[in-house]
Amino acid sequence: MSVKYTPVQWNANKYGYDLVLIGMVVLYILSFLNVAPMFLDHARPTDGPIVRARAFGTCAFLLLTIILCIGPLARLDARFLPLLYNRRHFGVLTSVIALSHAMFVMDWYFNFAPQSKLEGLLGANTSYGQVLGFPFEVLGLAGLICLGILAATSHDFWLNFLTPRLWKALHFLIYPAFAAVVGHIALGSLQSQDNSIFAIVVGLSTALVCGLHALAAWKERGCDKRGNADAGWIIVGDAGDIEEGRAKIIKLPNGDRVAVFRHKARLSAIANACAHQNGPLGEGRIVDGCVTCPWHGFQYRVADGRSPAPFTEMVPTYRLKLDQTTVLVDPNANEPGMFVEPTALPEHMQ
Amino acid sequence: MSGSKKDPFFVGYLSVPEGLKLFLIATVALLLGCFAALALTIGGTQDDPGDGAFRFDWGRQTLIGILEASPYPIVHVTKGTKRIPTGSTVLLSGNGKRGVQSRTTPLDGELVEISGVAIKRGNIEMLQLRGGRNGIKKVAGSVQMPSSKLLGRWRLSGEICDGKCFTGTMRPGRRLSHKACANLCLINGAPPIFVSSAPVNGTRFFLLVNSEGEALDNKFFHHVAQFISLEGTVEKRGNLHLLKADLSSLKRVP
Ligand code: FES
Repeated sequence: MSVKYTPVQWNANKYGYDLVLIGMVVLYILSFLNVAPMFLDHARPTDGPIVRARAFGTCAFLLLTIILCIGPLARLDARFLPLLYNRRHFGVLTSVIALSHAMFVMDWYFNFAPQSKLEGLLGANTSYGQVLGFPFEVLGLAGLICLGILAATSHDFWLNFLTPRLWKALHFLIYPAFAAVVGHIALGSLQSQDNSIFAIVVGLSTALVCGLHALAAWKERGCDKRGNADAGWIIVGDAGDIEEGRAKIIKLPNGDRVAVFRHKARLSAIANACAHQNGPLGEGRIVDGCVTCPWHGFQYRVADGRSPAPFTEMVPTYRLKLDQTTVLVDPNANEPGMFVEPTALPEHMQ
Repeated sequence: MSGSKKDPFFVGYLSVPEGLKLFLIATVALLLGCFAALALTIGGTQDDPGDGAFRFDWGRQTLIGILEASPYPIVHVTKGTKRIPTGSTVLLSGNGKRGVQSRTTPLDGELVEISGVAIKRGNIEMLQLRGGRNGIKKVAGSVQMPSSKLLGRWRLSGEICDGKCFTGTMRPGRRLSHKACANLCLINGAPPIFVSSAPVNGTRFFLLVNSEGEALDNKFFHHVAQFISLEGTVEKRGNLHLLKADLSSLKRVP
């Protein structure tokens, strides 16, 4: 949560997160360049720039795979949520590694010619009508541009400037980026080597990303209870099902989700989408009296959906009522930040 | 820290809940372990790039021979060195991705002195010429152009490469990931080499020209670096084999 923009709001967890990221990259690159050659079954050296392009390119692909796995993993098992916390640094690092790969390629394959490197890259192979022989470099370039846009707009300044909805939509570019990168590898590198190890790695990585997304979507659909209507009010369920400090999420007929929280034996409902990046507030907890988003920890007071001062974020609230022990929600959202008196649970449930 | 030990809840700006620490340490260890293992597996199974290389270790090579400027500049060596003996036929190139046609065309059929660094792969040799007249100049004397020998009509399977990278400037300098680079070399005048999967007359490397014996036209570039088969006449000129190929006979080999 921020009241002013700073480049990065550091804390111990972010330092730890970045340290692990850098550790992974350094370990990978050093192992690839310095240790792996000892395992080769031939002594003839591949050109240094090509080996470096391979090291950085494969590293960027693996990082991208992990980035795409974090989201569904966190939805499948909340213990993975800490991996999501600083994912934007993960993305920025990945785009830097991918850019390094591109630089090694440009400075080697497209260097030493009378034409400019860009002219060489875009003009040397124009076999767009073929699958094999397709200029796969342009797919890599497309992926790189997507990653560059994501990295450049990853800061909260852009999130607020573009609005969370647009920002979120823009950041779905990660999927076309991944598809372009898989195509880039499949039509380039994988067509050019006899050893099939990397083909297996790419196949498994792609299957992992697709499989985890399918699994998470399936789980989410299973959990997504659409409330039944009762004279305009929507049935949430039995109040006894909601644990103290936690929420039950219900999907309204218009597709919006509401999180009904129980706090100190009283019930309150706020929109499920966090004002930050649409994180699922209903999967969060009440910490220090505030609903705390499971993604980056933005907080909202449960009764009025406002972040505590000095923060200014707000989410819509909803009216609740009880019919015996059945909780019902008015599907018409209140203005963000509008106070709604919490609904006290019957005495026998307190 | 937040959440109970049994039901930990991570909040980024608070300390990591006890119940999550072990899980996160295990995840980090798994990620680091996987990355190291993948680096070794992917990096340790790269293909052999072949035996082509710049032969800087041979020192500068200065040769005398008869220049055949077209379809691609080659020199039949009449006075060689220990490394490139008399009787060899060498392909010529300029620095980087540059041909030397502008320097060789006026000297077609002349006895020339050429000087530069050798590039060699198997039985195919190239000289990357020094700049200007240091690289190639006419010398006095006259010799006969070596006779050429026709070796019949063949259908060969293999790959079109650029003679500069394939011969050893890039390792590896072939297959589809190298196609754009190869095209760039060919566009700038490098000689195309057909690398056959089976030998004819003891060689798998052929200077590729069209059926008229002229330089290839750009349509061939779409097929560079792919596994194809071609029909044509094989001719031995000096010590170099040419494949005079018919573009219409080109087939993709699955
Ligand atoms: S989405 Fe970032 S804190 Fe909620």
